[in-house]
Amino acid sequence: MSDAVGAVLAGPFKDMVSSPAFFVEVVIGGIAAGLMYSLVALGFVLIFKASGVFNFAQGVMVLFAALTLVGLLERGVPVPIALILTMLVMVALAFAIERLVLRPLVNQEHIILFMATIGLNFFLEGFGEMVWGANVKRLDIGIPDRSFMIRGVQINQLEMTAALTAAVLVTILGVFFQRTRIGRALRAVADDHEAALSIGIPLKTIWVVVWSVAGLVAIVAGIMWGAKSGVQFSLSLIALKALPVLILGGFESVPGAIVGGLIIGVGEKLGEVYWGPLVGGAIENWFAYVLALAFLLIRPQGLFGEKIIERV
Amino acid sequence: MTATAGPLLEVDGISVRFGALLALNRVSLTIPRGEIAAIIGPNGAGKTTLLNCISGFYHPYEGHIRFDGRDRTHLRPPDVAALGIARTFQNVALFRGMSVLDNIMTGRILKMRGSFLLDAVWWGPARRQELEHRAFVERIIDFLAIQAIRKTPAGRLPYGLQKRVELARALAAEPQLLLLDEPMAGMNVEEKEDMCRFILDVNSEFGTTIALIEHDMGVVMDISDHVVVLDYGRTIADGTPEQVRKEPAVLDAYLGVAHE
Repeated sequence: MSDAVGAVLAGPFKDMVSSPAFFVEVVIGGIAAGLMYSLVALGFVLIFKASGVFNFAQGVMVLFAALTLVGLLERGVPVPIALILTMLVMVALAFAIERLVLRPLVNQEHIILFMATIGLNFFLEGFGEMVWGANVKRLDIGIPDRSFMIRGVQINQLEMTAALTAAVLVTILGVFFQRTRIGRALRAVADDHEAALSIGIPLKTIWVVVWSVAGLVAIVAGIMWGAKSGVQFSLSLIALKALPVLILGGFESVPGAIVGGLIIGVGEKLGEVYWGPLVGGAIENWFAYVLALAFLLIRPQGLFGEKIIERV
Repeated sequence: MTATAGPLLEVDGISVRFGALLALNRVSLTIPRGEIAAIIGPNGAGKTTLLNCISGFYHPYEGHIRFDGRDRTHLRPPDVAALGIARTFQNVALFRGMSVLDNIMTGRILKMRGSFLLDAVWWGPARRQELEHRAFVERIIDFLAIQAIRKTPAGRLPYGLQKRVELARALAAEPQLLLLDEPMAGMNVEEKEDMCRFILDVNSEFGTTIALIEHDMGVVMDISDHVVVLDYGRTIADGTPEQVRKEPAVLDAYLGVAHE
């Protein structure tokens, strides 16, 4: 018995030390996957910060963006033009959502807005498949899914590109939120609707901006995931992986979404590779949720969330 | 500023109803340019409702609000702000997670323009504009003597300072009309004196017209040019502090007893 326990507790660490290059490879794979989770989580955070709406449809927005891009590419539209058109479609979608969903429901309970985004979820899913078809599609944007070696560590070019893109996007969003006029307006709306209105920030414009930015983030996430595993319905399910990321990072924190994604990405890869064989595998499927559950018990506001203090 | 003569703000017979409660019943008042006007009255008299109508949060079902000679009865709050009306709130509505500096910079949002893309990359004109407005904001910070707390998140400040930051944010918009909802509530004597001085200075240095709601009668009588008294949604007195002080209806409303 004690041998078995020892094998589970100590064995994997011995493996890590004995083959450092392989360990680095696993960690890099985890970081790449984690950044992708972060991108999806970022879409949630942006909308939640600015409007207090938990956007259930974020995953489907990723799918919809990828479907639109693939659909355009299949019809022979060159990559740059297809990208621009997809961006325009996502911005148009943001306008439509503000006009048709958010504006009629202004001042309603959060749960009602949440239900509305569930409706949006089903609509976008059906609409996307109606326009672009439901079969699995290959998304090829010209980055080869090849690997190269650096000091004995194998690195996947596509994952590397995805990781770098995510990092750049996140930096730009960070600066945008902290230092600019619109960024401040977004934070202001998140903090106090009434005060924001009183100094002349139009809520409608802000909503269009956040949903547009969330749409653009969805495009990037859609491209990266789509290029890796094909554009298909299951793409919208990565939203489920973003939930634990949000719980870890805090629902309102941009850095939280990044760090949370990385922890989960790296954690589940390490778990799968080193502990998987010992307990029968499939750790990657539940690791994120168990970690989230632990966080809910110990630190419900997440790593970067504001501490929840009940005043009595 | 504008060549228009006549009063800056005219409220003409407005009524507001919440269910069965008539919160405002044909209230009228006129605020000339450059004046400090006080709106007083017992709790529930409709003072804040009146302020909310002027700033576009509520809309009266009858009557008119004219600002600078134009009918502005049905504008939404952001449009009211764009006209040059700034306000503070009874319960302090700051952006709690943002620093004092960011709070005040946000107050300047209507004075700034820019394109989304330039903003996003924080480049060229966007950056220059940011610095220009920063300079103005620094002047307000000096004016209200809040240099020491400029980097502090607004939510962590003591109440009196929060009120001061809220005033700073309103001033950042360079308003023509400043609406203050109980600017001195919950303050100690010293803080009240400071706030009085700031209000008088804003009025004399920037020429800002001010309408304030206040409970402290001493303060009201000291700083206002003009006092309007509301009770149960009606105007019961309107005049200089001396006139209002002697008004029998005011004594009734405040003391709850018939005068001799």
